[in-house]
Amino acid sequence: MPEPGIAAYAAYVPSYFLDDVRLDPDAPAAARGTRSVASYDEDAVTMAVEAARGLGRSPAASGHLLLASVLAPYDAKTAATVVHEALGLDGGVAGIDLRGHRSGFSALDLAAGTGSLAIAADLRQTHPGAPDELAQGDGAVAFVGGGSEAASVLARATRTVEMLERWRLPGETTDRVWDERFTAQLLVEAAGPAVTEALRAAGVERPDVVVVSSSNARAAAAIRRALGSDGADAAVETATGWTGTAHPGLLLADALDRAEPGATVLLVSATDGADAMVLRVGDGVRAARGAPTVAAQLAARRRVSYGTFLRWRGLIEVQGPARPASPAPAAPPIHRRRGWKYLLEGMRCDSCDRVTTPPGRACAACGSLDGGKPVSLRDRVATVVSVTQDRLTTMPEPEVAMVVADVEGGGRLTGYATDVTAADVVVGSRMRPTFRRLWTTDAIHNYFWKLRPCEEPTDGD
Amino acid sequence: MATRRMAHDVAIVGMGCTPFRDHWNSSADDLLVDAVRECVESVPAIELDDVDAFWVGTQGSGMSGQTLSRPLRLRGKPVTRVENYCATGSEAFRNAAYAVASGAYDVVMATGVEKLKDSSFSGLTAVFPPADGTDVDWTAPASFSLLAPAYQRAHGVDDADLRRTLTAIAVKNHANGALNERAQFRKAVSAEAVERAPRIAGPLGVMDCSGVSDGAAAALIVRAEDAHRYTDRPVYLRGMGFVAGAGDGLASDDYDFTTFPEVVEAARVAYEQAGVTDPATEISLAEVHDCFTPTELVLMEDLGFSARGKGWVDVLGGRYALEGALPVNTDGGLKSFGHPIGATGLRMMFECYTQLRGEAGDRQVADATLAVAQNLGGQPGSCVAFVAVLGNEPAKDRGAA
Repeated sequence: MPEPGIAAYAAYVPSYFLDDVRLDPDAPAAARGTRSVASYDEDAVTMAVEAARGLGRSPAASGHLLLASVLAPYDAKTAATVVHEALGLDGGVAGIDLRGHRSGFSALDLAAGTGSLAIAADLRQTHPGAPDELAQGDGAVAFVGGGSEAASVLARATRTVEMLERWRLPGETTDRVWDERFTAQLLVEAAGPAVTEALRAAGVERPDVVVVSSSNARAAAAIRRALGSDGADAAVETATGWTGTAHPGLLLADALDRAEPGATVLLVSATDGADAMVLRVGDGVRAARGAPTVAAQLAARRRVSYGTFLRWRGLIEVQGPARPASPAPAAPPIHRRRGWKYLLEGMRCDSCDRVTTPPGRACAACGSLDGGKPVSLRDRVATVVSVTQDRLTTMPEPEVAMVVADVEGGGRLTGYATDVTAADVVVGSRMRPTFRRLWTTDAIHNYFWKLRPCEEPTDGD
Repeated sequence: MATRRMAHDVAIVGMGCTPFRDHWNSSADDLLVDAVRECVESVPAIELDDVDAFWVGTQGSGMSGQTLSRPLRLRGKPVTRVENYCATGSEAFRNAAYAVASGAYDVVMATGVEKLKDSSFSGLTAVFPPADGTDVDWTAPASFSLLAPAYQRAHGVDDADLRRTLTAIAVKNHANGALNERAQFRKAVSAEAVERAPRIAGPLGVMDCSGVSDGAAAALIVRAEDAHRYTDRPVYLRGMGFVAGAGDGLASDDYDFTTFPEVVEAARVAYEQAGVTDPATEISLAEVHDCFTPTELVLMEDLGFSARGKGWVDVLGGRYALEGALPVNTDGGLKSFGHPIGATGLRMMFECYTQLRGEAGDRQVADATLAVAQNLGGQPGSCVAFVAVLGNEPAKDRGAA
């Protein structure tokens, strides 16, 4: 068994933030902080795909795809299989869902030792007006284990403690929370021995970097104070809120973004007990990052108004146009066309080399029926040929841009624009595909690719 | 590839067309009966039972030939139901024409109907077969509005000029519809009213969109040599082209959204059959598929009425107004007459027929001899297109009997 570690990592911070939750704009500002906000067309599955697609490497053949979330889009049905399909993983890689607040850390822990792909993704919801409304946020993070390019795992330790801290019933979307002063005490008590044991096993007396995540903000603050965190983890949290299963990984990703090779990192996740992991940052840490840095992604976000946020989350119902719901997809066509639906694969014609989308038996350019080869368009830039703004949309927006865009290297995509003000998309705009939930009809989530502006956050490196 | 003239030319000898309206008190059955009755009663020499075969076009207001045979209680007659998006009415006409031209029948009837106003939805809706969920759920105005920014970009037209052009098309078609008692909207509109209408898609507002309405239309078709048995003013089909596009405009990266290649090809075929070499000067009037104002703009170029990139200049110059050099949509068009899908193609024929017979009253185009009826369905990049040339004289090389 090789030394456990992290071969590659990538964080995904959605494009929006919310920092004002006043229902009455004339009321004095009350809640403080900022939460990250996923768009109305994102969920744990789509954010997981967006986080992992930048990794550039697959899990070991014997490994797993571990998807941790406490807000999976389906009950009962495995969500990891959707992510598995959209990442084009080998069928021999088992796709597994993990649930519960601890599972984000657990996925990372399991992946590090087995060469698996761990993804944690969550959307966090509260009731409007909840005291922690801006302290919960949306995000995702992905790790490929089984190498030490990003970091090697020196030791780990855990304490499982049953407590009624943060819970909800099936079908509910917002947590119920016990008096956080009580649960903070239990979580701090659990973290102490886990940290001590991990540091002792790692032979590390004082780690260079301390990263603490907790479902309980009071516990997080206490543990950070006790362990001497430099405040970077708290700073990210202030910008995103607690992102559920994604949170320990998101904070670790931010630490890896900045840590020097050789540095030791203590990662603590205090929820339903406590987990601790000691890592040593690898020499290949910069190249192991599969997405823009957390800081860069945070800096590129746009403010969303409270009204828009409430509408996106279905917390207020806004009268839409008198249009029928978009049709639910059917299982056999989804299966037959999974290469197109999940991997955005067109067909490159064997006769004329042109690309047809969606792929079919005949080439749209030359009419040849002799077939072609699949070509994935999902990582390519596309330039808008024409655009409209649909104001009869049934999506939770006043208008949605729809575009026809030509892909560099061949192929045409016709689709919805997202993460952009509809009026800002013009002929010539450059877009890139992003995996989204188009709509949900008849209890079926319809996943497909949209196009978003391709201006990536720049990292200056 | 052959797109020949038919072995026999054909002529329209009678027509019917209901007013296009919110027909709250009429079903699709009722509308078909009204249109067929008017059509048959317009030809004293024909009884309904004299009609050998029928075609009925509807996009979604019925299934099978029984859409027509049941409301009329036709006994022992062949009835074919056709569907070809918004060109459904023309498709009924086209197939009926071929049947009579073949000699299989002597008298045939093409009908079309749509009952849209039993739905409470805005605009058109359609039910498609189960699919993988990867298609954009286009509204019709959204898909056709793609023409606007592409046209602007290709021809250097700024927002203000484009807006003035689209407004002029809407104002013109409403002015024509105001003269037509059968039109859905019988009221002229101001440019200001067009431009302050709520936006629907891209630059298009409600007043850039055709009317959603109920209606039906019918045509009696016979071989040209038989036409004078039924009327002293038959209207002759001089040429006809139809193209079902390959959908390549959305599936590969050539098409630029400034034209309907399907229309261009259908028009080429129709003009060739009709011997029309310069449509801009030879055509007296045209009924075109103005489902949305940018569609009519692009069609002026696709049909050869305006030079590429100059259609907007001709529109603003009044060339296509009722008093202009080439009046377009003299009956109000889809915009003002309304657009009950399956009926629209035959409604276009009805106006051409009326004009070529000199019966258009206040809307009459002087000395009308050749008319174009152009009907399309689908969306830019993936459409079906029909073009016909109709005349008040038979083709010279095949005079009427």
